[in-house]
Amino acid sequence: MDLSYKNIESLIVSGENRLSKWLGYFGLGVGVLLLLVSMQMFVNIGQLLKENTPRKSGGFDFISISKTITNENMGKDNSFTNKDLAMLKAEPSIAEVAPLISNKFRVRATAGDIIPFSTDLFLESIDNNFIDTVPPTFTWQPGQMVVPVIFSSDFLEMYNVFAPAQGLPQLSEKTISSVNIILECSGPYGTQNFKGNIVALSDRINSLLVPQSFMNWSNFLLMKDTAVHASRVYIKTKDANDPKLISYLDQQNYHLNKDKVKFSRVKSLLQNIVSALGVFGILVIILALMLFSFYLQLMIAKSKDNLRLLLTLGYSPQWLTKSVARTWLPVYLTIILVALILTEILHLLFRQLAFVKSSDLSYFPDWSVLFAAIFLFSLTIFINVKLVKKELVKIL
Amino acid sequence: MQIRLQEVTPDYIEKEKRIESQLWEQNISINKGEHLHIVAPSGSGKTSLIHFIYGLRKDYRGSIFYDNTEIKKLSTESFSAFRKDKISIIFQDLRLFENQTAKRNIEIKRMLNPYHKAEEIMIMAKRLGIGNKLDQPVKTCSYGEQQRIAIIRALMQPFDFLLLDEPYSHLDEANKKKSMELIYDECSKRNAAMIFADLKPLDFFKNEKIIYL
Repeated sequence: MDLSYKNIESLIVSGENRLSKWLGYFGLGVGVLLLLVSMQMFVNIGQLLKENTPRKSGGFDFISISKTITNENMGKDNSFTNKDLAMLKAEPSIAEVAPLISNKFRVRATAGDIIPFSTDLFLESIDNNFIDTVPPTFTWQPGQMVVPVIFSSDFLEMYNVFAPAQGLPQLSEKTISSVNIILECSGPYGTQNFKGNIVALSDRINSLLVPQSFMNWSNFLLMKDTAVHASRVYIKTKDANDPKLISYLDQQNYHLNKDKVKFSRVKSLLQNIVSALGVFGILVIILALMLFSFYLQLMIAKSKDNLRLLLTLGYSPQWLTKSVARTWLPVYLTIILVALILTEILHLLFRQLAFVKSSDLSYFPDWSVLFAAIFLFSLTIFINVKLVKKELVKIL
Repeated sequence: MQIRLQEVTPDYIEKEKRIESQLWEQNISINKGEHLHIVAPSGSGKTSLIHFIYGLRKDYRGSIFYDNTEIKKLSTESFSAFRKDKISIIFQDLRLFENQTAKRNIEIKRMLNPYHKAEEIMIMAKRLGIGNKLDQPVKTCSYGEQQRIAIIRALMQPFDFLLLDEPYSHLDEANKKKSMELIYDECSKRNAAMIFADLKPLDFFKNEKIIYL
């Protein structure tokens, strides 16, 4: 028959200080719950705001800057020079810089037969790496009559707002690609018509984008101009909310559209709040474990004589350590399981909130939360075994 | 198993006593099945010797071996294995769990490595005249009854050596005899050695060897 801890359980005095034991349980429960819930909420916030942050991709923010127009510089050339671009590239918080090159020639667009619409417009081009949606068809070679265009989804939204008042049909994201636009490009050195084909919509860049090869070719052909005159520059940065970056841009008198980074600001603010909650949870767990350790020390001190006699009679110190430490195992397991269940309930309630698109969030807690729960369980057991062992060695 | 004492002498003992002793600073071996009687007046180191052999104290010079292992080098874990399987003891100060019943005290030892079935506790208790005391808390038993509880406890496990430190100090002659007979029977069953320390030679101790400390 295996040696059972039950035989000697009555020899280990559980102590009168039950308050510290129950406070320890409560503290551990609250701490674990805070930590798990904050981890889950951190993941949820990241998940929810991910879809709405087109400027964020691969861990980078893409934001556009322009020179601030003041009464003093109004009417002057406020485009970025090569020197300006070089200085921006040299700034450590900026990973990459790409100017938006605009057309120097006149562009007039008509929508053909489907929509009776014609307007003067502008075209721009930028390094493909800065565009969030680049289909393989977004290329152009001289001689090609069809020019692929990437259209800003904000523009489409604006168009759909004023279209009914102008007697024009509203367009969906799908139908816009079937609209053929005639681009009439004219300059002092000639006129040429192209067929514009909208190949994608961009959430990131508010413009009508054409391939760089087309822009260079047509600017040269129609205007004989190859100089870079960018009134807008896109920068790629790790964090658009980096105070150093913002103060640098302010110093240079560059204008950054703060609305563009509002989402990331909200997200980072929320994530900072839940992180702080998580840190608080960790502190509470540490305090609870300390309380436990005091209780354990007291318990072993009170049972010192009995434990010493058990060791004298031939009970193995290792077995005693394991057995005493194991008595807490169901308590820890219960506390962590209850915290995990409460986290899941809170997560499911969060999914029901009005502003949450529940399809973005899984039914189950994130794997990192489960991992944290397992880790906390192992940690508490490990600390317990170490503590009991240390206390037993003391009485030997 | 063999227990060997190699020039063992307590740190605290005076030179004079050391020289007179038949045990201190001598080489002595005790083998399985042997009965060694150590006789000495109070304060001459009987309990110290028993504690040295059992590994409870290390304040001595020289070496004690369990077979070929020097016991000062044994880990607490290895000691617990010896105490569970090879060596049993009856302490002079009994060392019982005062708040537990007599039966529970014996059972705690028996469960560690059962040599006897649980029913044997009652049989032995009756044989020693404490059959009706088993369910009583130890603290309510007389010292003589407690001594008999400690004796039964020591006999619950397998052992090659039984250490006895003045086990009968509070027993009358009849109970001493009954206890001694029980101990003899149990040692014979195991072919175990007895190291018996007492104030004076015991008439009914069938010792092969008697040593004066």
